[in-house]
Amino acid sequence: MEFDDEAEHRRLFRVETNSPQIKAVFSLEQGGSLSAKATKNTVIQSFKIVILSNKLNLLLPFGPLAILVHYLTDNKGWFFLLSLLGITPLAERLGYATEQLACYTGPTVGGLLNATFGNVTELIISIIALKNGMIRVVQLTLLGSILSNMLLVLGCSFFCGGIVFSRKQQVFDKGNAVLNSGMLLIAVMSLLFPTLLHYTHSEVHAASSELVLSRSTSCIMLVSYAAYLFFQLKSQPSFLTESEETWDDDEVPEISKWEAIIWLLIFTAWVSLLSGYLVDAIEGASVSWNVPISFISVILLPIVGNAAEHAGAIMFAMKDKLDLSLGVAIGSSIQISMFAVPFCVVISWMMGEQMDLNFLLFETAILFISVIVVAFFLQEGTSNYFKGLMLILSYLIVAASFFVHQDPDQDDT
Amino acid sequence: MSHCKVPALIEAQVEMGSVNELEHKSLFRREDDSTQTKEASLMEQGSLSPSFHEHATKSPKNSVIKSIKIVILSNKLNLLLPFGPLAILVHYMVDSKGWVFLLSLIGITPLAERLGYATEQLAFYTGPTVGGLLNATFGNVTELIISIFALKNGMIRVVQQTLLGSILSNMLLVLGCAFFCGGLVFHQKDQVFDKGIAVVNSGLLLMAVMGILFPAVLYYTHSEVHTGSSELALSRFSSCIMLIAYAAYLFFQLKSQSSSYSRLEEEANQNEEASGEDEDPEISKWEAIIWLSILTAWVSLLSGYLVDAIEGASVSWNIPIAFISVILLPIVGNAAEHAGAIMFAMKDKLDLSLGVAIGSSIQISMFVVPFCVVIGWMMGEQMDLNFQLFETAMLFITVIVVAFFLQEGTSNYFKGLMLILCYLIVAASFFVHEDPHQDCSGVKQVGSSLQADDFTNTKFWGEV
Repeated sequence: MEFDDEAEHRRLFRVETNSPQIKAVFSLEQGGSLSAKATKNTVIQSFKIVILSNKLNLLLPFGPLAILVHYLTDNKGWFFLLSLLGITPLAERLGYATEQLACYTGPTVGGLLNATFGNVTELIISIIALKNGMIRVVQLTLLGSILSNMLLVLGCSFFCGGIVFSRKQQVFDKGNAVLNSGMLLIAVMSLLFPTLLHYTHSEVHAASSELVLSRSTSCIMLVSYAAYLFFQLKSQPSFLTESEETWDDDEVPEISKWEAIIWLLIFTAWVSLLSGYLVDAIEGASVSWNVPISFISVILLPIVGNAAEHAGAIMFAMKDKLDLSLGVAIGSSIQISMFAVPFCVVISWMMGEQMDLNFLLFETAILFISVIVVAFFLQEGTSNYFKGLMLILSYLIVAASFFVHQDPDQDDT
Repeated sequence: MSHCKVPALIEAQVEMGSVNELEHKSLFRREDDSTQTKEASLMEQGSLSPSFHEHATKSPKNSVIKSIKIVILSNKLNLLLPFGPLAILVHYMVDSKGWVFLLSLIGITPLAERLGYATEQLAFYTGPTVGGLLNATFGNVTELIISIFALKNGMIRVVQQTLLGSILSNMLLVLGCAFFCGGLVFHQKDQVFDKGIAVVNSGLLLMAVMGILFPAVLYYTHSEVHTGSSELALSRFSSCIMLIAYAAYLFFQLKSQSSSYSRLEEEANQNEEASGEDEDPEISKWEAIIWLSILTAWVSLLSGYLVDAIEGASVSWNIPIAFISVILLPIVGNAAEHAGAIMFAMKDKLDLSLGVAIGSSIQISMFVVPFCVVIGWMMGEQMDLNFQLFETAMLFITVIVVAFFLQEGTSNYFKGLMLILCYLIVAASFFVHEDPHQDCSGVKQVGSSLQADDFTNTKFWGEV
């Protein structure tokens, strides 16, 4: 699945792939061994390929602009908006760099890379928020990312695909979809039990039992996620032969292995920088726009953070490759719920913060219902514009609920 | 997969129009003498309308007496009709609310059935598309009218509970009886129905539950931004979304149905040959519209008395209002649909049974409930989607149970029995359930009359 993904990504985003020119430059500048697999570019060539070749990168200047605004004016609202816009292209480029690296590491590690770094933007934002002790923001952002992937991204893909192919029903792999629904339900279960424990006031050691339960559950969830990856990669051999056929000559990676790693590091650092400012500005933005923090964390942040995945999923659906759309949308939800959330709990454990899996009753109930609705819509293995529209409308109901929802914790403080 | 394109709901409505007609004719003794009808019309009306020349069997014009005969006197169930006026008499002469309630309940039953009949008749003239729409909208007009009356009186809890009860009774009782009876008749095998449609319908019911659940959870976690008004705003917004979703659902069903209508026509013709009778409508288009209006007015009149009598009946019979609203009212209101669904199941047309039962549930949860919220909005009443925790939880679990029973696409008497027993559990729960708001309002339910305003006042300021 990851390989078709890359091929599609390349065809979808305009890229200057001029391999003979690159090879010529390479032989001039480096003199090393010629290999079609490992194109070595100059710094300028590399810069050109990675930065200038993508329309989305027009948003890049917003990043530094946001930092300027932060120091020049006191307008938190604008600052938040600008950093949000600045992060969007970075998230996309991070995905690109990861794919490039995956070309060199082979399908197995490549799949692992994609699976782990797919949502590294959310992960970075969450870790920085954790450092600031903003535990609620972390929970809400991750929750919002799950909901937006499951409902909005999937709904838009079904809807757009259904409109393009209105004659027939699009099909996708039912077995895989049902398995993924099961994984999401397990994630909900893991989030539900600490919440229930807290709300029935039935902990053995009040206030600490729940944290202990969250931490142990997180470890179990990480083990499950590892097993899930293992299972997916093991059962992939059949996919390999299929993808090798579609592996044309323009599957050649555009940047070399070390370049990919370097760019990965650069982007990660850049995202971390901007995220730091972003997280600082959340409360200020909430005040100046008169919108609850939960709405910003749950609805606005994830929509922006997932913008690139969103566009990708819709394009796959319009090309009748629904399995890829599902992989992007539901796979991302599983990544976040079964990996990013428990990983943040473990990280906070190491940091000494007290993040737990108690997402509070309102959020947990919404997540639970959403997962069940999505599971029911997926279990048939077909899609049409109506199902997509239903998912999108469900997301609107969820967004409206968060618009009028104020976190009781914040009231108490 | 062509079977996925055939929406059972609309198919059920159209086929029900034709099959139901035949069923009605074979089940109920009726003077079916079309030639005599035409002659009478010739004599009584004088002018020969063009439609008479074109194809008189398609649009019979009856005299007033003939029309009354066909619509009123041809149905055994209409023996219950006099109970309506009797209820009104009792209301003015005696002070026994219990009797008024019972009599108006019995009086409404045949009216609900005749309303359905008039709608089907009208559907003949409007073609399958608008006909399906008509059936889909007017299918539960009785509940709609009762709810609007209750809303006018500010009895918001009664509205919520009646609609909830209708959803539950359709999903569990009607479906369960249909599966059970069908399973008994065909106990050699498992009956099958269209799995794809059943799954989509389950998804829609879940979406309705979502719309109802979120305002309830918002309220109960005391996490509203503007206490008291946020939840109402959310309810109204969600209602608009649910109405849009229902419109999209109808649009989608009708779109995918137009491609399979020819198949339906063939089936309808086969049925025609099998029973040897014709499918022509019995009353003309304008007669159907007029009867529709008359019956609607009649139902509205009786509903007014019915709603007034609910509290008094609860007092004199010593049972909670919740039980009357959730269990008794819907059973009676759905009696005709109930019988229809069971008959379809016994003829191995489970898709039609499902269309009646689940389709009705979806109609109420995705159309009537949000519609009442919007109507309440316009009236200035504060009806919202917060159905209180007990009812919402019950609805949620029920929808999940039904969804799981449906997802396999087969049925047998055991599944039907399970659904009926579930309904008994639900009924028992409501028998011992007292609405907390009525307790907190400070007015005892038994032994005194409850002011309708108390419902609205205690809705938001009373704590659970």
